[in-house]
Amino acid sequence: MKDIFKLGGLLLIITVVAATALAAIYNVTKPRIDAQKQLAIDNALTEALPNSPREAIEPVTRDGEVEYYLGYESMQKQDTVGFAYIARGAGYSSVVETMVGVDTTGKIIGMQVLSQQETPGLGTKIIEVKYGEKEPWFLVQFMGRPADEVKVDKDGGQIQSITGATITSRTVANSVVEGYKDLRQIVNN
Amino acid sequence: MSVFREFSKGIYEQNPVFKQALGLCPTLAVTNTVEGSLGMGVAATFVLLCSNLIISLIRKGVPPKIRIPIYIVVIATFVTIVDLAMAGFLPDLHKTLGIFVPLIVVNCMILGRAEAFAGKNSVGYSFVDGLGMGVGFTFALVLLGAIRELMGNGTLMGVPMLSQGFEPVLVMILPPGAFLTIGFVLAFFNWLENRKKA
Repeated sequence: MKDIFKLGGLLLIITVVAATALAAIYNVTKPRIDAQKQLAIDNALTEALPNSPREAIEPVTRDGEVEYYLGYESMQKQDTVGFAYIARGAGYSSVVETMVGVDTTGKIIGMQVLSQQETPGLGTKIIEVKYGEKEPWFLVQFMGRPADEVKVDKDGGQIQSITGATITSRTVANSVVEGYKDLRQIVNN
Repeated sequence: MSVFREFSKGIYEQNPVFKQALGLCPTLAVTNTVEGSLGMGVAATFVLLCSNLIISLIRKGVPPKIRIPIYIVVIATFVTIVDLAMAGFLPDLHKTLGIFVPLIVVNCMILGRAEAFAGKNSVGYSFVDGLGMGVGFTFALVLLGAIRELMGNGTLMGVPMLSQGFEPVLVMILPPGAFLTIGFVLAFFNWLENRKKA
């Protein structure tokens, strides 16, 4: 019986020391981790809305949640030149999140994948940048197309799907369309 | 006991992957690129070094009955530190390694060294042991990563290595490629060992 208290007490001391150390490290790294997350969104936004300076892109929120982003032509924020939204779709092995930018006529002007955990070598080709090029070749195909009707070739569209990753390719195309429909509804209301 | 022997045994003679076949889960999972392999190797080495140090420091005060929970708490603490630091400073690598960073906690190589070495030896030797094992583990991962990335994608660290005509053997960067590669590499090291004995 006495043993339980002795051993338990010792474990308690060790876990308290460990927890204290971790709390300290957490406080130090938290601002950095948050900054990295914000940076990823910022990068995606400048990619999605290439015609707007970063300072001229602002989030539109409802109940504290970002619904979409508005891109203005300049810092004066007079003329809207585009919208950006996050398209989400279930891929082959993960939820694929893409930041999509459209102009006021609904044409896609920029895209960047925010997160995906697809099959390495197959689905991950949605972010593959060929050596010497700057943009992922799969996403480049979306540029200039109307966001409400992009489709992969297997569904009768113009987007060439990735060999061996039809599901991932289709997810990206369909989530762009779905996201755009939602955006239209929100903006029109 | 010589310092050099304690260091070098981890690299070849008792290599955690090739000779002891420990920590195979991350070995199979993250070695589809050299970058991922290197990141995992360095992260695991850091955890191993720190846990070996602390465990050898407190070894005289640890009652044998609860040594495993204590070792795990120490290891988990350092793994969480690595996880947080990587998320803050190397977000891309953190994304690539994903769930396998927190899973370093259950890497049997690390608990294995705590149990077999750090719990019984002085701080200095435990440090050298951890360093040797960590370097050996990283070497094993990078070797597998290099073979798989080169054959499966035609690149090393993302830079193309083979001519345009090379058709990548896709299966090499998929999970079956991990099993195939480790099988051949283990067979090679066994063959080497048998030849030395003969």
